[in-house]
Amino acid sequence: MLLQGTDPQILTQPLLRFDMKSSVLDWLGIILKRDLIIAFRRSSTYITPLVFFLIVITFFPLALGPQDSLLSSLAPGVIWIAALLASLLAVESIFSEDFRDGSLDDFFVSLEPSFILVFAKVMIHWLITGLPILIASSLAAIILYLPLESFVPMILSLLLGTSFMSLLGALGAALSLGKSAILSAIIVLPFSIPTLLMGTSVVTFSLNNQDYSGFLMIMGAMLAIGIPLLCLLTVEALLLNYD
Amino acid sequence: MGSPPLFYRWSSKIMPWLGILAIIFLSVGLFWGLLIAPTDYKQGDVYRILYVHVPSAILGQSIFMFMAACGLINVVWRAKISGMILKSAAPIGMSFTLIALVTGSVWGKPTWGTWWVWDARLTSTLILFFIYAALIGLYSSIDDKTKADRAVSILSIVGLAIIPVIKKSVDWWQTLHQPSTFTLTSSPSMSPDMYQPLLLCVIGFYLIFAFTLTLNLRNEVIDRERSKNWVKQIFVN
Amino acid sequence: MLPNLKVENLSCVRSEKAIFKNLNFEVLPGQNIEIIGSNGSGKTTLLRTLLGLINKEEGIINWLDENNNFNEYRSFDCFYQGHQMGIKNMLTVFENLKLTHNAKGMNVEDINKCLERVGLNKTNEMASDLSVGQKKRISIARWLLKDFKIYFIDEPFTALDDRASDLIKEIINELNQKGSSFVITGHRSSNINATLIEI
Repeated sequence: MLLQGTDPQILTQPLLRFDMKSSVLDWLGIILKRDLIIAFRRSSTYITPLVFFLIVITFFPLALGPQDSLLSSLAPGVIWIAALLASLLAVESIFSEDFRDGSLDDFFVSLEPSFILVFAKVMIHWLITGLPILIASSLAAIILYLPLESFVPMILSLLLGTSFMSLLGALGAALSLGKSAILSAIIVLPFSIPTLLMGTSVVTFSLNNQDYSGFLMIMGAMLAIGIPLLCLLTVEALLLNYD
Repeated sequence: MGSPPLFYRWSSKIMPWLGILAIIFLSVGLFWGLLIAPTDYKQGDVYRILYVHVPSAILGQSIFMFMAACGLINVVWRAKISGMILKSAAPIGMSFTLIALVTGSVWGKPTWGTWWVWDARLTSTLILFFIYAALIGLYSSIDDKTKADRAVSILSIVGLAIIPVIKKSVDWWQTLHQPSTFTLTSSPSMSPDMYQPLLLCVIGFYLIFAFTLTLNLRNEVIDRERSKNWVKQIFVN
Repeated sequence: MLPNLKVENLSCVRSEKAIFKNLNFEVLPGQNIEIIGSNGSGKTTLLRTLLGLINKEEGIINWLDENNNFNEYRSFDCFYQGHQMGIKNMLTVFENLKLTHNAKGMNVEDINKCLERVGLNKTNEMASDLSVGQKKRISIARWLLKDFKIYFIDEPFTALDDRASDLIKEIINELNQKGSSFVITGHRSSNINATLIEI
């Protein structure tokens, strides 16, 4: 409901009314709690991306041969590509179930501002795909002979990068709601290239003992701009489905 | 512009002029560039492909910026016509980007010895091509045209925000490419004899864009308004 | 008595066709509106337009605020239920009520009371084990979580047996006594005490 130029609401009503503050946090809490309970009862939601990530990682030594020098130099790219694809795997499900069963209508009618909903959904997606990938990435780094010194930069870059992917993925999911699952991944992939480039650069730079903090800062900045911008655009994209 | 019949009548008057101007600029520019301009002392005559490559690369980028601007207008002010312009411009921009990629690759074979080099500008052009493909793919997946317009507008706004980041991040790569040949702000590093025909070609390409855009937009307007009386009147008589 | 919602000259055009035109009605406290029309006549579109899910094209939707002024935006909570009921299969009957915004601050007994009112006793059963009719009852129990000023319910009487529709009528009656209004849609009149609007 935001960003609509003709909507008088945006002019007359501040985004966060004072008495609304607690209510917004309540909403966030309830959506998070509800969706996490559902996700834990349906374990495939968080296991599938994890297993996919590890299988893709395993394919590289099998395809390229097990020389440790080769693998450790390719490790940053391999881990990042696998993480990127794995985090887009479950993207379609971010809104599809709530849209099908009508809970989304309820959110839009009674939740103000609506981007809180998107933000909560992005957080849940990250918790059930990004976080397991983050944990499994250490395992991937071991089997790809990535030096121990590069573990911290890898984790940091993945932390920022997978969060951004969840945000982008939410927009892709909202735009292709009710369409094929692969479409949402395809429309998002070209936009994920800076994340991939900078994420791999962080790990590669740390392999060569170079300063990588600049890349992390840019990734952080992208996330900081991405949260409001992409959440608002995702709200717009979701509302398209009611027209 | 707001009223489709008005646009239709107005555009049929302006279209021939756009076409004639495009032909004049392009034929003069290409004739000058391909035949009269001096041979490059390093590359020989091969460099002349630049008279096609550079304008189409410039067009590929600026059409995207134009589309994103239309997208922003469509999302914020709900102006339907801007969504139609966006839709009509997308395939043109994608074609120019493809021409830039192919001519770049043809240029690369004699200059660098390979068809493809992972050079910064070629790579970001390739990514731009993928973004065009994503926009057009999204458009074709949504049946309702107004909805499709808005969805593509939203995605193009993300593109607007992220393309500078893509360019910057790709620029970090080591590159074989020459420094930028054509900028509007700084003085050109090429000799004026080579530079002037290029300018004509660029203007000619913009005119082609304007011409094809109007053509596509007319088709789009007719298609969407086909049940209206004014369309029937035009095509029945 | 001032109406909670006042609609003037509301029109909606979709792909060159007028779905509804120049609708005028008021929703007074404790009184109901029933929107009657065949499939595809735009009943859902009308509800969604009223609630701002869809941009209105023409007309005025006025909501009463705390100071008895009419505003274009809504400052109080409404309850909206679409065709789908928003029941999560992977949650229990109890959780399906508890994990909604409207159940804020309610304890177990309060929620169980709502469920008992609609005849659901096994509150720890997973919703996936329930029949469609029982799921519908969960969604009705949600009406009771809070006293809303206006309930917007899309086709509450479709695919219901007589006992369930009697239950709904009873509950609507009870809530009407408390001053709540219902705006419901349907294919034909459901014989509740309501102003009919045909579109």
